Amino acid sequence: MNHSGGGPGCPPNPQPELTCERLVLDKLLEFEEGAMPEAERAQFRHHLELCPPCLRFLDSYRKTGRTLRMLKPKDIPPALAKTVLSFVRARSGKKER
Amino acid sequence: MTEETTPTDLDLVRGIKAGDERAFEEMVERYHARVYSLSYGVLRNAEDAEEATQDTFLTLYRKIGTFDESRKFFSWFYRVALNQAYSRARRRPRPTVAIEDYMPKFDGTGHFTSPEAPDWAPGVEDEAAARELAARAEQFIAELPPAYRDVIWMKDVEEIPGVEIAETLEISIPAFKSRLHRARLYVRQRLAAISRAPAKEEAAG
Repeated sequence: MNHSGGGPGCPPNPQPELTCERLVLDKLLEFEEGAMPEAERAQFRHHLELCPPCLRFLDSYRKTGRTLRMLKPKDIPPALAKTVLSFVRARSGKKER
Repeated sequence: MTEETTPTDLDLVRGIKAGDERAFEEMVERYHARVYSLSYGVLRNAEDAEEATQDTFLTLYRKIGTFDESRKFFSWFYRVALNQAYSRARRRPRPTVAIEDYMPKFDGTGHFTSPEAPDWAPGVEDEAAARELAARAEQFIAELPPAYRDVIWMKDVEEIPGVEIAETLEISIPAFKSRLHRARLYVRQRLAAISRAPAKEEAAG
């Protein structure tokens, strides 16, 4: 995982200013939101093409998001709306409808 | 209110202020699930979340007169809901993790220090495995410091738009994004760890 001098897992990167650290910590969210300028986006993609660890990291980051979305919806107690109305009315002096 | 037109939040607010019981009922119908889920995100307990939801709507009923109609209703109301949940949560404080311990590590030249990048993606393709991971992810979120926990819960579980979350939490958009990203990195790291070494995690847990 070395862009400038050669190392395991990641070949030399022609644009060494975008390190794995910057990509993961500073740029990943912007890239995923689609808010990144195209030139920077191209540089980001180029890094991914050359860097399997970052590509795997991106994949697992996306799968984290998909995993979290499986938590929705929470099981809402079926009579919650009625319970809330009864609770509020009991404490505000209103009669049940 | 007629069935043909859907009243806006502001319509309902004005109705409640004017004493229209149907407006309040509509507000409960519209928001009770979101308030419950938001409360659950903070409290991690169904009974507490239900009670917090009741208190939130009671506060809405009693304090609606203080709502400034030039503001967005949801941010005011989510804030009410969060405050109710926080108030209950303080009665049962929980230990939280040091999020820095779970951030990806890099060497002085900006490369991963770990010899192998985590790769737990294949397991997520299996439905049962994915559900198991989701259940674990929920536990991991619960261990986050509140500033991170609430942001990731609201964005990635509740899918509330970022602008609304920032307004509700009264933080800047950059602060919201920073917290969200770090919370995601944390959850990703925890999920990667259990996916790589499930036996070890089970033994530890």
